[in-house]
Amino acid sequence: MDEMIKDRIKQVKKGDQSAFEDVVSFFQNRIYQHCFRMLGNAHEAEDIAQEAFIRAYVNIHSFDDQRKFSTWLYRIATNLTIDRIRKRKPDHYLDAEVKGTEGLNMYSQIADKGRLPEEEVEGIELKRYIHYEISQLPPKYRSIIMLRYIEEFSLQEISEILDIPLGTVKTRIHRGRETLRKKLRHV
Amino acid sequence: MNCNKEAVELMHCYLDGDITKEQEQALSAHLENCEACQKHFHDLKRTITLLQSTEQIKAPANFTANVMNNLPTERKRFKYRR
Repeated sequence: MDEMIKDRIKQVKKGDQSAFEDVVSFFQNRIYQHCFRMLGNAHEAEDIAQEAFIRAYVNIHSFDDQRKFSTWLYRIATNLTIDRIRKRKPDHYLDAEVKGTEGLNMYSQIADKGRLPEEEVEGIELKRYIHYEISQLPPKYRSIIMLRYIEEFSLQEISEILDIPLGTVKTRIHRGRETLRKKLRHV
Repeated sequence: MNCNKEAVELMHCYLDGDITKEQEQALSAHLENCEACQKHFHDLKRTITLLQSTEQIKAPANFTANVMNNLPTERKRFKYRR
């Protein structure tokens, strides 16, 4: 797969726009998922994921072929999500409490789709709960936990994606794991 | 071994694959005798398993087509490069 991507990037650099389609198609789910988990909602995730691919395309000549394309692409996507989070108005947070309710947030307002067997509901509830707890982490921990355990990057790659020293990645991943351990130990 | 500092620190080093043979032996010796740390270590490993089990979220239909439709035209891209 890496070879296919390398080949397509070469073609894009030569000016063949259509070669970019395979690149987008190959990474779309991973990049969209990353944006979705960083931002917590589908609309912004689609918007930012799309922007990430467009930026990658526009700046393709600054991509060094000797490096891994996926880390470069994730770097663009992560920076865009962090910018978006910073620019948000406080009342637009998905996890902000809904006015007039106690402890209810937008997550609990998302309706279940149809009826499902109990076991499946439990599985979905658990997954939703894990997703919720990830979303509650501060962005600097959230991005690292996701890159490590959902996207399966190495610590060195994460340090390149986020442009922070390896030692900082380690400290943050330790703290992120401890925070989640406390939240998830009773489930 | 101090549970909160040393042992937990070593657990994290272990999880990052960043531990020496000696440290690993020290950690497992400690875990044999310390139930609280055993539980802590178990919970950390379980947290990771839970994280890895979350569902994969897929991009919406037409995502790729939408990106392709929104790329700057070839001529415009030339402008970007200047």
